[in-house]
Amino acid sequence: MKLSSIVRLYRVRLRARFVQELFAVLGIAIGVALLFASQVASTSLDRSAQQLTRGVLGDMRFQIAARDAHGFDERLLAQVHAIPGVSMAVPVLEANANVVGPDGTRSVDLVGTDPRLAGQGGQLVRSLRALRFAKLKALIVPAPIAQAIGDSSLQRIDLQIGESTVSALLVPQLLKGAAGGLAGSSIALAPLAYAQALTGLQGRLTSIFVSSPPALDRQVLAGLRSAGAGSLNIRPATFNEALFDRAARPTNQSTGLFSAISALVGFLFAFNALLLTVPQRRDLIEDLRLDGYTRGMIVEVLMFDALVLGVVACAAGLALGELLSSVLFDSNPGYLSFAFPIGPRRIVTWTSVALAVAGGLLAAFIGVLAPLRGAILSRRDTFFSDPAYRSARRTTWLLVGGVSCLLATTVILLAAPAAAIAGVVILAAALLLLLPLVLDGLTLAFDRLQVRFAGASSYLAVIELRSPGNRARSIGVAATGAIAVFGSVAIQTAHGDLQEGLNRVARGLNATTDVWVSPASEANSLATTPFHGVVAAQVAALPAVRSIGLYRGSFLDIGDRRTWVIAPPRQVARPLPRGQLLEGSTALATRRFHEGGWIIISRAIAQERNLHVGDLFTLPAPRPTPFRIAALSTNFGWPSGAIMLNADDYARAWGSSDPSALLVGLQPGISPAAGRSEIRRALGSGSGLEVQTAAERERDFRATGRQGLSRLTQISALVLIATVLAMSATMGAMIWQRRPRLAEMKVDGFSRDVLWRALLWESGLLLGAGCSLGAVFGLYGQVILSHALVTVTGFPVAFSPGILIALASFVLVTATAMLIVAVPGALATRVRPALSIRD
Amino acid sequence: MCALVLELRGLVKHFAVASGEPVRAVDGVSLTVARGELLALHGPSGSGKTTLLMLIAALLPPDAGSVILDGRDVCAFSARDAARYRLVDLGFVRQSLNLIAGADVVDNAALKLMGTELGAREARRRVRPLLDRLGLADRASHRPEQLSMGERQRVMIARALSTDPKLVLADEPTGSLDTQRGSEVLELLAEVCREREVSVVLVTHDPRAASYADRVHVLRDGRLVEDQPDRAFAPIDAK
Repeated sequence: MKLSSIVRLYRVRLRARFVQELFAVLGIAIGVALLFASQVASTSLDRSAQQLTRGVLGDMRFQIAARDAHGFDERLLAQVHAIPGVSMAVPVLEANANVVGPDGTRSVDLVGTDPRLAGQGGQLVRSLRALRFAKLKALIVPAPIAQAIGDSSLQRIDLQIGESTVSALLVPQLLKGAAGGLAGSSIALAPLAYAQALTGLQGRLTSIFVSSPPALDRQVLAGLRSAGAGSLNIRPATFNEALFDRAARPTNQSTGLFSAISALVGFLFAFNALLLTVPQRRDLIEDLRLDGYTRGMIVEVLMFDALVLGVVACAAGLALGELLSSVLFDSNPGYLSFAFPIGPRRIVTWTSVALAVAGGLLAAFIGVLAPLRGAILSRRDTFFSDPAYRSARRTTWLLVGGVSCLLATTVILLAAPAAAIAGVVILAAALLLLLPLVLDGLTLAFDRLQVRFAGASSYLAVIELRSPGNRARSIGVAATGAIAVFGSVAIQTAHGDLQEGLNRVARGLNATTDVWVSPASEANSLATTPFHGVVAAQVAALPAVRSIGLYRGSFLDIGDRRTWVIAPPRQVARPLPRGQLLEGSTALATRRFHEGGWIIISRAIAQERNLHVGDLFTLPAPRPTPFRIAALSTNFGWPSGAIMLNADDYARAWGSSDPSALLVGLQPGISPAAGRSEIRRALGSGSGLEVQTAAERERDFRATGRQGLSRLTQISALVLIATVLAMSATMGAMIWQRRPRLAEMKVDGFSRDVLWRALLWESGLLLGAGCSLGAVFGLYGQVILSHALVTVTGFPVAFSPGILIALASFVLVTATAMLIVAVPGALATRVRPALSIRD
Repeated sequence: MCALVLELRGLVKHFAVASGEPVRAVDGVSLTVARGELLALHGPSGSGKTTLLMLIAALLPPDAGSVILDGRDVCAFSARDAARYRLVDLGFVRQSLNLIAGADVVDNAALKLMGTELGAREARRRVRPLLDRLGLADRASHRPEQLSMGERQRVMIARALSTDPKLVLADEPTGSLDTQRGSEVLELLAEVCREREVSVVLVTHDPRAASYADRVHVLRDGRLVEDQPDRAFAPIDAK
């Protein structure tokens, strides 16, 4: 068959089904957009970290890194230099700090280094060669940060480090433009000596980066290990990439999971839109077969339909996805920036485009060809066999297929929660298979009820629902409603479970005291920056203060996981937030926490190392210390996992008594706000410490959690919007197609009112069956997704059946669709009877 | 009108049903159709008329018997050969409800030709004289919804004849037409097919059809109850 004939056939048929085709395009485009935007967001995070690390470190081979913020003696640099094979060693001191300008405050990762970095490092730091860097007594900050705090150039600003605030000179514009990825990061560069002076860490380094010939790797590594003496981390120079990848993985997995489900919902909308055109396409196939077209030729005609649909939908989806990814799904690393010096940057790769386009095209081909598979492949016998015989066979197959899919989903839930996407897809298949049976059952029940009322409209509705000619369209409408509610309920409820889980962590960790005092920095939101704590005595002496506890915490690299170490004071009565223990007893774990020598560790870390409750684990702290495992927990909202131990054990393992927060208990009758004010006054304006009530800190935690879940929130909102739009389009198309039939009924003497009510009854039954089944299956989807979030990502999830959300989605979608039927339905019933009489 | 175009030899087709005996839709039918001959098959609903057409069109395999067209056994065709046979050697006229909505008269009539090696433009060009002959020249750019039922039926005839077939199968072509339009369509079908020496098997329960047929057979319960021309059901004022 010539291409010109295929194109001609496509063009002439398009006129009659433009609206349905447009609807299908919309459905696929939504799916493509969600896939593309989430891919861009994930890739941007990973690639930004990679570009930054490689752009700064260039070809450097290894790093020797401290395990805490206090670092190690800088004399180690000479020792490293002396290792045979080391051609260059670059010293680095890193610390969290806040730059405070006239217009605001920004958190930065202060990096002190020397000109050797410009010589040996990557392209992002080569511009430093032009400066007399070593003699500079200033901080070089990315221009966007300087602009945000209102600093123009070479002005003095306040720098909050630990518990101090010092004055520093800022050089903003030097890294603008040429420095690329560095300009978008939160890195503030300073000469090493200046950085040491600012941080009060004179003579200290946090890492040394080593350059050496690859052939001498083994020799250099041995030398570095000997220099590290078991208390420093020796690893590849670009190891941060692996740490970041691990940290970002759960977020990317969750986003990927939700995006895939959303894309599936979009594609199913398209599929159902195409179901509405199945009768026309089936008639066409019949015609073509009678006229001598081979199966191959028919498939060519249909494939061209799918190709045009797929290409147009993918183009629209990519455009929409581009908009989504730049406006909604920003690549802000959120709370990951607490542990990694990375800024927002959007990176679009060909892989993202290819994946989204492949998904879109696949959906188009399946959507066009799958519903017609029977018509294309069937032997004519099926068309002539007894309808009752075919119906009985179909019912059996639908039941067997639906129940099998449900069983397969249950097996995935219990045995392979990581395959959650497949589980949800199979669950959607079960929904679609069982829907016709539910619809038939509901129609039968309604028929038995309606005879008692003897109303013409309800009778007409039953006739229309039972008409074989309307079957595909009825199932299409009910299935669109079902899938819409299913997707919306599954995603919203799982999202709600995750949000509530994070809220519980926020509440549980912060409510252990009345007021928190810790170094001011956005990057210190998790209280991971130590300070000397000399103010503890001053705060304890205040009249409003009843007690003071030293909280300790930090990030600790365990393998490729940058874990969050939480070390509340031993005397805290309930250190474990509710619902965080996955294995072990809360009472026993709490007792062991108080006893000391025990840690509570995230299950993901334990599983990686084959550790169980009661096992011994040597924590790779600055002073490696063995602990017994008291219980296994969630990741407390930190993607790479968390470890909890009491603050005294922490001091022992870290070899430092510096706290990272003071937990202040107030005298009875003193409100948290009053206590906070008194402490702030006592610390004075020169302090680098921030004072917050437990409620304020919990609010910040929740905001951070929300920020981390922002993409999931946006996806879940988009699904709901897409749902309402899709239902509007489906119902609109259905009513428009019904006009000739309504005209025929008018000829038969039915009044407008009767027809309108019949339309409402019919739509109500279709939507009732579809949306209610969708809501029930959506709740099962919630179980699968929430279970996958706990087991795969390790996030805290507080599961509670989202019955209210299911009811709300059911009501919203059904009510919207009924409203759409009611108004245009009333207009459609005005159709002139003459429409049915043409000759 | 002597060369045989179609020969049916003892055709049998049964269908399974959910309960009871299979339905014997076609039960040992044998007949012949000569070149340019118009054979009318008359019978009540469910008598097996449409099944018989499907067997001739190689859309159904018979349980027994054979269909010989121009000396070739249609039942032995592969699916591809059967499709080619329907495309080139056969024309199918059925009730006109299935014209492609949105496509104009020329495109609808050229649908079969588009399935051949011709491109769309050439297919449209070739079908135009046929449309002229069928009186549709001034309706060429109209779409199905802008045509009367009689005009739609003429479009179906144009499509069926567009590839110059040897045999046209017409399945209740006047089913949705009034008396006058039905007669016009039957007359036109008979005329045009005779001009082109195309044989026609016309399945109908319209009594007027007999007046345009060269022979009439009656089909009842899947059997030809008379194998002689039967004009008893033809109206008295017929041709």
